[in-house]
Amino acid sequence: MTPQTLLIPILLPAGLAVVFFLIPSRVKLVREVLAVLGASALLYLGFVFFSVRNLSWKTPWLGRGIDFDLRLYHFSAFILLGLTGFLFLITLYSTVKMRNTPRLREYYGYVFLTAAMANGAVLSNNFVPLIFFWGGGLLTLYGLITIGGQTSHRTAVKSLMLGGFCDFSMILGIGILWAKTGTLTLSEISVKPEGVLAAAFILMMIGAIGKAGAMPFHTWIPDAAVDAPVSVMAFIPAALEKLLGIYLLARIALDFFHLEKNGAMAITLMIIGAATIVLAVFMALIQKDFKRLLSYHAVSQVGYMILGIGTAIPIGIAGGIFHMINHAMYKSGLFLSAGSVEHRTGTTDLRKLGGLSREMPLTAFGFAVCALAISGVWPLNGFVSKEMVFHGALETGYIIFAIAAWAGAVLTFASFLKAGHSVFLGPRSQDVPRVKESQGPVVLPILILAALCILFGVYNKLPLQTFITPILDGHAAPGEHLDFTSHALSVFNPVALISIGCLILALLLHIYGWRRGGKKAHLASEPVHTFPGLKQIYDLAEARIFDIYEQGIRFLRSLSLVLFKGIDRPIDAVYDKGVTAVGRAFTRLFQSAHNGHYANYLAWCLGGLLVLVGVIGWFVGF
Amino acid sequence: MNIKLIALLTVFIPVLGSLTIPLAGRISRQARSVWSVLLGAVTAALPLLLLPFALSGKQDIAVRTLILGLDFKLIIDPLSVFMSIVSSFVGFLIIVYSLGYIAHERHQDEYYLMVLLFIGSMMGLVFSANLVFMYVFWEIIGICCWRLIGFYREKDHVLKADKAFLMTFFGAAVMLLGFILIYNQTGTFDLTAMRGTLISGTAVLFILLGMFSKSTTMPLHTWLPDAGVAPTTVTALLHAAVLVKIGVYAFARLFLFTFSLPAGWRDALPIFVVVSSLVAAGAATVENDFKRILAYSTISQIGYIFLGFSVYTPDGISGSLLFILMHGLAKAGLFLCAGIVIHATHKRDIREMGGLIKTMPVTAVAFLACAFSVIGLPPFGGFFSKLLVITGTVKAGQVWVAAVALFTAVLTMFYLLKVFSKVFLGEATETAPEKTRGMVFVVALLAVLSLLSGLLVAYPMKLVETATTSIIWWNP
Repeated sequence: MTPQTLLIPILLPAGLAVVFFLIPSRVKLVREVLAVLGASALLYLGFVFFSVRNLSWKTPWLGRGIDFDLRLYHFSAFILLGLTGFLFLITLYSTVKMRNTPRLREYYGYVFLTAAMANGAVLSNNFVPLIFFWGGGLLTLYGLITIGGQTSHRTAVKSLMLGGFCDFSMILGIGILWAKTGTLTLSEISVKPEGVLAAAFILMMIGAIGKAGAMPFHTWIPDAAVDAPVSVMAFIPAALEKLLGIYLLARIALDFFHLEKNGAMAITLMIIGAATIVLAVFMALIQKDFKRLLSYHAVSQVGYMILGIGTAIPIGIAGGIFHMINHAMYKSGLFLSAGSVEHRTGTTDLRKLGGLSREMPLTAFGFAVCALAISGVWPLNGFVSKEMVFHGALETGYIIFAIAAWAGAVLTFASFLKAGHSVFLGPRSQDVPRVKESQGPVVLPILILAALCILFGVYNKLPLQTFITPILDGHAAPGEHLDFTSHALSVFNPVALISIGCLILALLLHIYGWRRGGKKAHLASEPVHTFPGLKQIYDLAEARIFDIYEQGIRFLRSLSLVLFKGIDRPIDAVYDKGVTAVGRAFTRLFQSAHNGHYANYLAWCLGGLLVLVGVIGWFVGF
Repeated sequence: MNIKLIALLTVFIPVLGSLTIPLAGRISRQARSVWSVLLGAVTAALPLLLLPFALSGKQDIAVRTLILGLDFKLIIDPLSVFMSIVSSFVGFLIIVYSLGYIAHERHQDEYYLMVLLFIGSMMGLVFSANLVFMYVFWEIIGICCWRLIGFYREKDHVLKADKAFLMTFFGAAVMLLGFILIYNQTGTFDLTAMRGTLISGTAVLFILLGMFSKSTTMPLHTWLPDAGVAPTTVTALLHAAVLVKIGVYAFARLFLFTFSLPAGWRDALPIFVVVSSLVAAGAATVENDFKRILAYSTISQIGYIFLGFSVYTPDGISGSLLFILMHGLAKAGLFLCAGIVIHATHKRDIREMGGLIKTMPVTAVAFLACAFSVIGLPPFGGFFSKLLVITGTVKAGQVWVAAVALFTAVLTMFYLLKVFSKVFLGEATETAPEKTRGMVFVVALLAVLSLLSGLLVAYPMKLVETATTSIIWWNP
């Protein structure tokens, strides 16, 4: 295989995007056929690349070490396969779901540009192309969110600001790393995060986890869930950004920096992970909108991945990465099923939905599998990866992180019981008319993802041995046990028993809340919501007090005001007021000297002459 | 044609040609427009002929001996060729745009005369290898600028023009003192003879004041937002192509290419300019006047250009040179978009605008593209220039300065997106169609160039790299 083929995953979608922008908007069928074919070709390429797994191509770009350097190896091939797979499913889904939305030209254009950027980022072996593609994705995301509607541009700006902040942090981190190591090539960098390099680690980590949507850079995701098209949510925050963000985080933790078990950096990661799990799931639990609820889970689940990688123990890291791909599958499936419901009923408000399982059995089935997978129910894929993270967290000796992860599991299951119960079970709601199951292209991606969730759980040997374990090659200590499949589905060990206990607890919590709420499923979370102490915090959170974006904007505004009023205006006043006043004072002084008396002028002349003589004399050297 | 002749023509065709514009105006309006565009096009085309020479990294000097032992000396090297290409090209686009924008104003003869003289003096300044002629062109630019800012001749406008003139003149006069100090030390005004000379801190301060006043850096910056009363084409010219770039160009020519600075200044400069950049970004966030926001944005971006130069690393210098190009394209685009909006709505307060994307789709998209480039987001050109300035700063060991600069970028993102959202998105307050086709074409072209300069950054980078190599005489 010639190395130049590495350009195809970047140039093909980019070229298709240009075509989509050019095709007139009334031409729909051609566009959709082209999109599905293009995505299939890319998926095929994904498989081919995964079978090759070893290819690199490099050409000089800007000089001084900035090369356009692409490298395909095991990890990047794996992520590339995931990216192309999701592109294919989303494109298929969009042919029906997005058909009648305005700005279709832009939609497909941005989706394929996003794919081009993501593929480019994952293949880059030099930091400059990496950040080039990485940041380019922000713009397409901005465009995609604005497609949502009249007011969605606010959320689009929010996503761009938060993403931009994280990217700028990463640029600084890369700069430090470059200055210290003298190279920009990813595969050549390997340092210890100490001194100023610790700062580089933190800055780059912000870039990675910001992309993945971890706290506190997540706040655009719940807003986008409401504003952006659901397929965008299923594609970008649910799947693509998780793959990219966690890919980079894993590279940072494994390759560029040596993350030491229980070192300061590892603990930082674990704290961020645990906090993200718990805080986001608390928010997810009380949501009244299906998509918003899912979006908070998209945040919360990142916590498991970060926690897993932060353990710096093979089983934890592998669990974190495995969780990444699992999450991308079930969360994308969940968003797509929410989209399917929205497609038919026109709403995702949990209060208005109910009893849809008879009319939409396939969507309901797909949802159920994905929901059980995300909740970590045996024997689905979520169970396996979560167990690995729990094991890793326990092995670090900091039990608090394992407890946080378990607490997250309880509330995750509780909130999905609530969501599934509200939408698909219970009495048929009267707010929505009778509906049919969605069309094939909508349901098929959901079912494929659900099937993969089952496959990756029951037959976890396949993903773990094909995709995950080889990533750790060369990173684990020699002789370390790297076969995680042996006890992946074992339930008779303390960790698994606690996890199962958590699920039972969640079920009881749900039943309790459901009864308390007059057997209305969407009120099942109210006991937690109105719990003394929690309620006040919830109120503050809903008022966006904890939203880093709102607070950040407030900070930017007040800082700007201080700079403007405190520095810029005073300087201007010096010129506008001060200089003119001095000028006027001198004018007045000279005016008063010119009073019309001959003797006066003569005196000035003589005085001037004397001064002149004095000056000349001083120069000549008297 | 030989290199020296091309350089001489680049300077004298616009300078002398500008004086013939009123004559063309006597014939007809049409003739004047055609003649002006032609002169602009020739000025833009000539430096391109120097490109192969510049890419070879060589240097040539054109000398015409004058009276009093003064030599009229032009230096043709990658730096001057790069700068002249950028300035004359953006200047040419602005002349084309002016045809639509100025069509209904009075005093058009004067307008085109001043604009071309402006561009011509810029060429003169860029190629000058002699401090005296540098100063002369510097002041001609100041005078053109003064006339153009007060173009509408309203009382308030004339006052603003006076303010601009006085502030820049003050800077220039002080700079001249600095030149005299250098002359006292070296006995020559010839730059090529003085390479590597260590100059005194006082001279640095004096010259720096001149540069800061033209390139609007704190504390000599406040005339630029006020100069927004000028026709938008003029503002675009001041911001993107000519005026504010002469300070940074002079910095590169004098403080990098020619002289050696005392160590204290080297340490202090990055801090000065980054603070200026931050303060201006803050002011841009607070302002609500469309053109004042863009003016503060220029001040803020100029801080970046100075920053890259003042850290004395190859990355930073390359980044800043690239920045001059990227900022020229993008900022001209932003101003000309603002011009279309202001021309159509007769409003300048962004709070009174809204929803214009419906009636002005091309302008809106062009504005957004140029804004992304100014912010420094890939795949636009501004990304690369900002990236190199930042990494250059980090490599010079100034991590905190780089952090402040990046924070400024966040602020830039905030206020430019705010402007875009307020002006082009939201509820439409009125229907204002895009008018002249030529104006829309120019902004679209600038937006496309901002994108292409990012996608094909390797091409301008070649010239920039050669220029950086030719500038550096010390061991970085």
